[in-house]
Amino acid sequence: MTDDATTDGEADGLDPSDQRAAVRDRYGSITTESPSDSCCDTSCSDETTAEADRLGYSDEDVATVDPDAYLGLGCGNPTAIAELNRGEDVLDLGSGGGFDCFLAAQAVGDDGRVVGVDMTPEMVERARETAETTDASNVEFRLGEIEHLPVPDESVDVILSNCVVNLSPDKPQVFREAYRVLRPGGRLAVSDVVLTADLPVDLAADPDSVAACVGGASTVEEIEAMATDAGFVDVAIEPDDDSEAFIREWDDERDLSDYVVAATIEGTRPDAAH
Amino acid sequence: MKENLMDIICCPLDKHDLELDVTERDDEEILAGTLTCTECGETYPIEDGIPNLLPPDMRDEAPA
Repeated sequence: MTDDATTDGEADGLDPSDQRAAVRDRYGSITTESPSDSCCDTSCSDETTAEADRLGYSDEDVATVDPDAYLGLGCGNPTAIAELNRGEDVLDLGSGGGFDCFLAAQAVGDDGRVVGVDMTPEMVERARETAETTDASNVEFRLGEIEHLPVPDESVDVILSNCVVNLSPDKPQVFREAYRVLRPGGRLAVSDVVLTADLPVDLAADPDSVAACVGGASTVEEIEAMATDAGFVDVAIEPDDDSEAFIREWDDERDLSDYVVAATIEGTRPDAAH
Repeated sequence: MKENLMDIICCPLDKHDLELDVTERDDEEILAGTLTCTECGETYPIEDGIPNLLPPDMRDEAPA
């Protein structure tokens, strides 16, 4: 008996190296194009503000971070979910242009530190340039893979990630790595897309669809299981019904909000007592 | 990369400590050098201030 061509989980997905290549190609080329898919250029700051507002960023968030860091590729505001405190160490999985890292750096202050990990060289270069020009001294960007984090066990307080985990060919491993690097009591604060209906087979197998945060999305139940299996407690996944409006604009030909919704994914690594 | 973040960096493969060898720096900022795993001996380059901690097989996949 053979597996059916189901559209959930990793089973029918792309070969992992093909998936990585598709993701890297897409995000590598985005850095050389205009700042955001839906924005004309850096002069249209009103549009950036409006778009960022829909994702949950405040006007202050947009105003205080260098516009070069904002690429409009997220699907929420993980720094808000995380409720960061002064002095905390933060790791951003798939840091892209660095927008969430720079916001986090302001929140944790000089006593805190922020590390962004991204596998796309062009993204890391861009984020580092912004860090240089803005003199952000407590932020660092590294080339790395979120399935193989270059971060020691129990070394950060908070993990952020914005619309990235769905891109991974091995999501359970991402959750295990996130758990490993968090200190006991540390927390996971993720924005990502979740699957709400079976994808048509052509979408699930399409590298472009995977790279566009749709083809590789998992259901709430699958994500809950991955986070719980990794050891997280108090796992909470909240779909954001308002996200339909911007997800609808992701594709000209079909309404992707029929299949995916943005959600917040939270979890905690339990305290040492066990 | 920043020297004060060395305590939250490790080998992506076996998670052991990395030894820093600096060839170019600007104060606290390390612009070029290598990071070598104290356990497996794998070396990771630092170029233009960016540590490349991709697993070696992915580093090779990366476009030049």
